[in-house]
Formats: sequence, structure tokens, C-alpha cells
Amino acid sequence: MIKVEKLKKSFGALEVLKEISITIKHKEVVVVIGPSGSGKSTFLRCLNMLETITDGSVLIEGVDITDKKTNINEIRTEVGMVFQHFNLFPHLTVLENIMLAPTKVRNTSKEAAKDKALELLKKVGLADKASIYPDSLSGGQKQRVAIARALAMEPKIMLFDEPTSALDPEMVGEVLEVMKQLAKEGMTMVIVTHEMGFAREVGDRVIFMDQGYIVEENEPVQIFDFPKHERTKSFLSKVL
Amino acid sequence: MGFNWDVIVEYLPFFWKGTLLTIALSLAGIVLGTIIGLFIGLGKMQSNRWLALPFVWYINFFRGTPLFVQILLIHFGVVPYFIGETNPIAAAIIALSLNAAAYIAEIFRAGIQSIDKGQMEASRSLGMTHVQAMRYVILPQAIKRMIPPLGNEFVVLIKESSIAAIIATPEIMYWSRAMNGQYYIVWEPYLMAAFIYLILTLSLSAVLNRIERRLTTG
Repeated sequence: MIKVEKLKKSFGALEVLKEISITIKHKEVVVVIGPSGSGKSTFLRCLNMLETITDGSVLIEGVDITDKKTNINEIRTEVGMVFQHFNLFPHLTVLENIMLAPTKVRNTSKEAAKDKALELLKKVGLADKASIYPDSLSGGQKQRVAIARALAMEPKIMLFDEPTSALDPEMVGEVLEVMKQLAKEGMTMVIVTHEMGFAREVGDRVIFMDQGYIVEENEPVQIFDFPKHERTKSFLSKVL
Repeated sequence: MGFNWDVIVEYLPFFWKGTLLTIALSLAGIVLGTIIGLFIGLGKMQSNRWLALPFVWYINFFRGTPLFVQILLIHFGVVPYFIGETNPIAAAIIALSLNAAAYIAEIFRAGIQSIDKGQMEASRSLGMTHVQAMRYVILPQAIKRMIPPLGNEFVVLIKESSIAAIIATPEIMYWSRAMNGQYYIVWEPYLMAAFIYLILTLSLSAVLNRIERRLTTG
């Protein structure tokens, strides 16, 4: 489903990703952990080309997104993304936030988009918030709307970039609950997070990144209970 | 100081004509300046620095030199160069528009760049093109932030149109100076001009406040 080969990314002279290669299967939930500055967010943002890729390739369902001939906008409709800071559109209501991309990008009719949006809002537990503006939502509610907005495009893959890092502690649970449900439904997901409990419970595979490399990848139990590398051990001893 | 109302009454028809011309100059400056300014602003925001350079220097020139100098250059230099003779109204409109465009370009740029870059990223991540993201997400938010500085620029434009008197464009200040020259009086012509400008700028401010309020509540 996703195949990353020798991916490199530099910001000027700073090399943030150094030869990342990984294959992610259909319906797999991959959790990326690691210290800040390890390149995990950059890696995630390369998967839908929010960052230009310096070298290597990223294949989404066999299509090389680094190829200039690839229509990246089309690929992005298949790859939903949820951001740390939600990035909801403040000038639109919750409902309009969710309807915007389907109606403008997919040319879905207003009625169909609205039905879909309401259904998604029900799914994330916010059916009663459809007509209000994002400003009056709590952080956890904003993030759930952001998830619904991404799902409205019916993506095959969902990317989560530290979705709970900007939330008050008591709101983390409600967002993780929605993500768990998605995983259960068989969504292919790549999640960058600091929630180790969540990684252990929901992840099919955990990737530990440090200094632009994938240091270790394995099943959650192996990573958390029997880490092989010194760097993984020292990181986990600090966060667990 | 006795205030001579008779000369004011005598000059009322001229002030009326002058006011209409001032309004026309300002409106033309606002409309043309906004169109050119949008173009210049987008030009300056290009990621290619060499292509952006002419736009950067356009702004540098028109913001870095006095309007007085620009209006003389255009009236006595640029317009005659192209059409062989000069025309004070055309020269005034050109100078005001080009000058305002430089300021308006910066207002557009600042407005667009003040929107958090996460907004563009979220739009693009949903599959929108750059143009769609601009149209549906960035500009609707940026325009709200542009209204107050744009209003400011429009008020400045009305006042600066008075400089056109120096090239004999028959607007408000032109008739004030004529009145001053004819009767050797100071208070009547210039207070009258100040009064008219004040009414024009206050009216514009009131209109802009209304637009601003409607946009923020809507």
C-alpha cells in the first residue's frame, strides 16, 4: 500500500531524513515514535508530499508520488491527514469544514456531502455541533472534527501527526477513542505520537526513529518490552 | 479675522465641481490601485526571486519617492512621452493609482501571509489545488484582515489627490488656490477645502466601518 524507498529529506544543509525505507501493508496501523527532532513528523509529511522529497521514492498503491507526472492532488484525496494543531477553517462552520473538500475537489452534490458530513459527525460524537464555528469547540472536539473532515474524502490511508500533543490531558482520551475505532474498521494508518499506551494497544507495528534513521521496528510488545537497540532503550526509559 | 461668506457662496459651484473631480480621482485611484496592487502583490509573492524582483522594485520606487515627484514625472514626462501632449486629469489618475498600488500590494501580501500556514497545508492535504485553497480558505480569511489597512489607504488616497492641484487638475485644492489668488484671502479657501476633505474622509470611514462590522459578524 505504501512503499518508501531510500527516502531522504534535507532542509538546506540539514539532513533530516537519511535513507528511510519501509513498506506499510493494507489495513496496517503503524505507530512512529522517537525523540523530538528525530524526523518522524517530516517522514509523515513526505508521505503526502507536504514536504518536497530530496531523494528516494514514495509509492502509494504503486504510484510514485515523487514522479513529476503524478497528479499529487489526486493522491492526496486518498491520503487523509490530521494535524497537531487541527488546522480547522475558522471562517466555516463545523459542517462546512467537512463539506468543503468533497464539494470542491470531488464535485459531490451539496446534499450528498451534507448527509456524509452529518454521518461522520455522528461517528465522532459531535452531531450536535454541526452549525457552530470551530472557535467555540474544545481542543478534543476540534481534533475530532478534523478527523471527520479528513474522512469525508473517503481516504484509503490516514496520517496522524501528533494528534493529541496540543490537547489538555483530559481530552486526549476522546480523540484516541475515535482513532481506535478507525483502526478497528480496518483503516490503514500511520500515526506519529507520544502516547505509548496507545501505540502498544492499537499499533500493529511500532517504528522507533532517531536522528533521521529508523533505528528499530517491530511489534509493539517487542519494542516496548524487549528493545534491542541502546537508543530505543534509553528513549523508552525516559518516556515510560 | 472676519469670515467672508460671500466669496464662499461665489465659489460654491467651483467647489462643487472640484469635489466631484476629487471623488472621481479617488474612486479611480482606489479601483485601479486595487487591481494593479493585487497583481503587484501576487508578483512579489512568487517563490522565484528573480521573477519577483521587478515587483519588489516597483514597490520600492513608489513607496520610497514622494508622490509629489511622481506626479510631476508622470505629468511632464511619462504622459507626453506616450501621447505627445499631457492631460492633468489622466496624469493625476495614473500617478495616484500607481502610487496606491504599491501600498495596496503590501497590504495584500501581509494579509495573505498573516494566515497560518497550517490552513494551506490542511487544504492541500485534502486534495485542493493551490488556487482552490487560496479561493476557499486563505482569501476569505485574509480579506477580513485587509479591510482596515485598505480603508486607511483609501482615506490617504483622498487626501493625497490634493497634490494634483499642482499640475492644474481642477479638483478641490485647485479652486481653493484660485480663490486665494483672486481675493488674497487665506482662511476662507483653505478652511473650506479642509471642511470638504473632512466630510469625504469621514463618510468613507463610516462606510468602511460598516463593511468591517458586517464581515466580522458574518
